[in-house]
Amino acid sequence: MERNEILKQVNAIFVDILDNESLVLTDSTTANDVEDWDSLTHIHLVVAIEKGFAIRFSSQEIQSWNNIGELVDCIASKK
Amino acid sequence: MNQEQNSTMNYIVDQITVKNQLHSKKIIKNLAKFDEAYFNRANDFLKRYVTLLQNEGKTLDYSIDCYLQMIADVNYESVQFFQTGEYTSKSFDEVNQRVYNNPNVMEYYMHGLLLSQFLWTHHYDILLYFNKIINQNAAHINNYLEVGGGHGLYISEAIGITGAKANYDLVDISKSSLDIAKRMISNDKVNYILSDVFEYFPEHKYDFITMGEVLEHVEDPVALLKKLNSLLSDNGKLFITTPTNAPAIDHIFLFRNADDIRKVIHEAGFNIENEFSIYSEDMPAEKAEKYKVSMMYAGVLVKK
Ligand SMILES: C[S@@+](CC[C@H](N)C(=O)[O-])C[C@H]1O[C@@H](n2cnc3c(N)ncnc32)[C@H](O)[C@@H]1O
Repeated sequence: MERNEILKQVNAIFVDILDNESLVLTDSTTANDVEDWDSLTHIHLVVAIEKGFAIRFSSQEIQSWNNIGELVDCIASKK
Repeated sequence: MNQEQNSTMNYIVDQITVKNQLHSKKIIKNLAKFDEAYFNRANDFLKRYVTLLQNEGKTLDYSIDCYLQMIADVNYESVQFFQTGEYTSKSFDEVNQRVYNNPNVMEYYMHGLLLSQFLWTHHYDILLYFNKIINQNAAHINNYLEVGGGHGLYISEAIGITGAKANYDLVDISKSSLDIAKRMISNDKVNYILSDVFEYFPEHKYDFITMGEVLEHVEDPVALLKKLNSLLSDNGKLFITTPTNAPAIDHIFLFRNADDIRKVIHEAGFNIENEFSIYSEDMPAEKAEKYKVSMMYAGVLVKK
């Protein structure tokens, strides 16, 4: 799967879970840039991403991403 | 806030921010809501706690890592919970092996839980509620039992409020829990009993029993409450807390809402004298429902 394609899909999931139509994610986006991305919504984002991409993350992976780019890389490594 | 007085708390928050930015957002929001009484209490607790750590050659960093390990566990269990709609642990034997009988896990878990009492608004609010209930009943407490006391914070409070005049028994299935409790409680009046509560048969009855966050740890919560009913004197009171929708490595029985809890309480032969509940995240109820946010329930129960 193309990296860009993954990013687009991840963006759509964030828009849906965080109820924020105007959200535009880039590789360097962090939780500091997205107000509603916190420990609670993170869980729901992870669940939706697992479902959307038909993958599973390990306990460590869930804690490890510092920005969207790292999340996308992690998804790419599983596809 | 008073900068110097709160330096330990500030240090904890700084470290959490460095190590887990997502989680720090919640903690910073929580702390912003607390009042002066909270900070006095938290600072007092942290002073005692840091001494305990020092006596063991441990640092606050160790404890913060424990807390974040517990958070990592909860996050992972939460993801599984939302995927399957169930808790991952199904049997008591499984949890006993995985957690209570596993000193490594139990150690970080209890230190983590201890810090959470002052970092999570809902844990703190429940502690205040407990405080109020003990104050109201202090005059009638001669025999106090705590089941699954874990880190020992609740029984410490109870001893303080009742003026250390009663008999205090603490039953816990985990040696690690009792060890931490012994070090947190600076009182030699407590009898520490290492036992599964189901196998505990004391000679006398209790007029007050506290059981915080244990009901969700058993396969049959009605049986557990019936057991406590048998340990309680006729006019005695039972204080319990238990969460809904709270995935964790040692949770077995899933309460989906407060009514699930009340049903179990009534089935075990209790009436609810008083109750209090609070979501674990500060948000409108509608949003809390959407995200299936865990709710902590506390109840004061009396025999039917
Ligand atoms: C989550 S901790 C709760 C600690 C504390 N009461 C609180 O509310 O924060 C659960 C505690 O219950 C103990 N426990 C679990 N099952 C038990 C049982 N069947 N009999 C006695 N203790 C038990 C555990 O060892 C642990 O210390």
